[in-house]
Amino acid sequence: MQADPNPMKRKRKPIKSKNPKKKKTTTKPSGAMAAVAEAKRRKPSKRMLKLFKKRAQNYHSDSDDDDEEEVVEEGRRGEATPSDGNDEDGSADSERGGGSEGDDEGDGEGGHRGGITRFDEGCRAFRVAFSKIMKRKLPNDALGPMLSAHKKLVVEKLVEEEAEHKAKGEAKKEKILALEKGHVKLANFLDAKEKSLIKIATKGVVRLFNEVSKAQISQRGLNPSRTKVAKELAKQRKRTFSPELKKSSTQGHGDHLPFNSSKLSNSVEKENDDELGWAPLRDSYMLTSSKLKDWDKMPDPAASVGQDVFPMESSSSDEE
Amino acid sequence: MARFKHNARRNKKWGSAKPPVLKKQPPSVDHVTGSKIPKSFVFARGKLPGPLKQLELDLRKMMLPYTALKLKEKKRNTLKDFLNVAGPMGVTHFLILSNPKSVPHLRVARTPQGPTLTFEIHEYALAADIARSQSRPRCPQDLFKNSPLIVLSGFGAGGQHLKHLELMTIMFQNIFPTIDINTVKLASCQRIVLLNYNSEEKLIDFRHYSVRLQPVGVSRRIRKLVQNHQVPDLRNLQDVSDFVTKAGYGSESEPDEEAATVSLASDLDRVNRASTKSAVRLQEIGPRMSLRLVKIEEGLCSGGVIFTEFGKGDGEANTAEGEED
Repeated sequence: MQADPNPMKRKRKPIKSKNPKKKKTTTKPSGAMAAVAEAKRRKPSKRMLKLFKKRAQNYHSDSDDDDEEEVVEEGRRGEATPSDGNDEDGSADSERGGGSEGDDEGDGEGGHRGGITRFDEGCRAFRVAFSKIMKRKLPNDALGPMLSAHKKLVVEKLVEEEAEHKAKGEAKKEKILALEKGHVKLANFLDAKEKSLIKIATKGVVRLFNEVSKAQISQRGLNPSRTKVAKELAKQRKRTFSPELKKSSTQGHGDHLPFNSSKLSNSVEKENDDELGWAPLRDSYMLTSSKLKDWDKMPDPAASVGQDVFPMESSSSDEE
Repeated sequence: MARFKHNARRNKKWGSAKPPVLKKQPPSVDHVTGSKIPKSFVFARGKLPGPLKQLELDLRKMMLPYTALKLKEKKRNTLKDFLNVAGPMGVTHFLILSNPKSVPHLRVARTPQGPTLTFEIHEYALAADIARSQSRPRCPQDLFKNSPLIVLSGFGAGGQHLKHLELMTIMFQNIFPTIDINTVKLASCQRIVLLNYNSEEKLIDFRHYSVRLQPVGVSRRIRKLVQNHQVPDLRNLQDVSDFVTKAGYGSESEPDEEAATVSLASDLDRVNRASTKSAVRLQEIGPRMSLRLVKIEEGLCSGGVIFTEFGKGDGEANTAEGEED
């Protein structure tokens, strides 16, 4: 094998049978095939030799998948070469492929020598395989064009993988669903229910603001006349603070109560009694009723509530 | 207890067993009403999945300013640790999120020995979801400077004074600080928390809104001009009077006029002036939850059970809780 000074450069020439060992095929080989065959005969460049050496060392490690490796290699090669019309690419691929196949076939000799000496058999085998592939008609299969004879194996593997993926995917989905339980992604933001809720809240705010404005405006108006106001204010403060002295924390009743009688119209309070559905705002009316005043003493009302309505369950501790 | 006054970040090493403290101390007693300002801790027990962690952060934000925004909890912090810290800091309420059996629960408890209300979160939506679904999400700068107002509705429905409803009402009212209507500034009421009780389904809808006041009767263009200080586009108009008097079409989100208008007590800002009519417009921010009351306990996650939704079937659930205390 002569060293080709420029192995990468290829010209379309008819094959000169340099090698007497090679069988001559009856059909004249096509241009690509010729180039490929020609490439086989040339001694690979030094870079390529190094590459083959490295590959030989690599390939010796997994001898189990030799079969499949070959198969896959062949399939790859078979796909690669017809697909590119470019001679250079084809030949480079086939060179590599040929070299690796050569390495596969050479068992223990991990040197480039072994790769080179096997070249001829490798080339022959490759040629045979390639011509077979080209002759064969490709079925339109769901799995894509399968060029290897080990169809079943590959199919099985693919099916296995798919099944695995499915199982994993489902498990993941379930997990995510469990995490997201209760988390509602808002589909439609402003539907009727939300609008009604906003209206309720708006009503509350409006009431509050009206109260505030009434209280503050009237207070402003009254400031000149101090005596009456001062007395009333003092009264309120006492009333609000005396319950607080007893308890830890309490609702500020606001300075609301006396104003109720004098300033604010009674209608507001009546209205509140009627609308029990309206529950109280902050400065709420509900707390002025006596039965709820003592709510801040937490243990007592709790005890009384317990005795009243609900049976006291003496369970040890609480839920998680 | 001076060491509790350190900055939260400096507590990395020795503070690993206890949760770090607030950066600055907000007043513990309201100077106006004289009542104690309730403060709260929002934390989680157990491992929470992603969205629930977000919910915890949203709840913390909602409870501002009287809560520990950057509260860090470790796995080995038990309830007792939080209780110990709560005392000197004046924290009155705990909001505890947990996820037992992958059903999120929220517990509202009053320290130190107050009752505990346990709610099951039926469904929730995060603040981020809501912001994403709105066309113009709005979050002004000082929205969280003041505590929200609470609006409760439907708790006294039907005239029946159920004890647990009353207890819920009181509890929720106590969580947020009170306001005094004589001195409150309307500008400081910027957030609303709505709790609506639905008695057929026994679900409580929880919503969190931001308040916006819009002057009524002013055309949209003029209002925008005053608010945004942007020079309007007068290309197609012949005269400025066209700009002022042109009847624009009303927007779809025009509120109901009568129900929502208030007359303000004072000037709010440039646009909303005293004794002019303004419309109250609410925009939703913050998490949205629907809760179902499951249990009320006497103590802080302990003690006798006053009320259970499901009857006596919670026996097995009780034992798991005992470990936490």
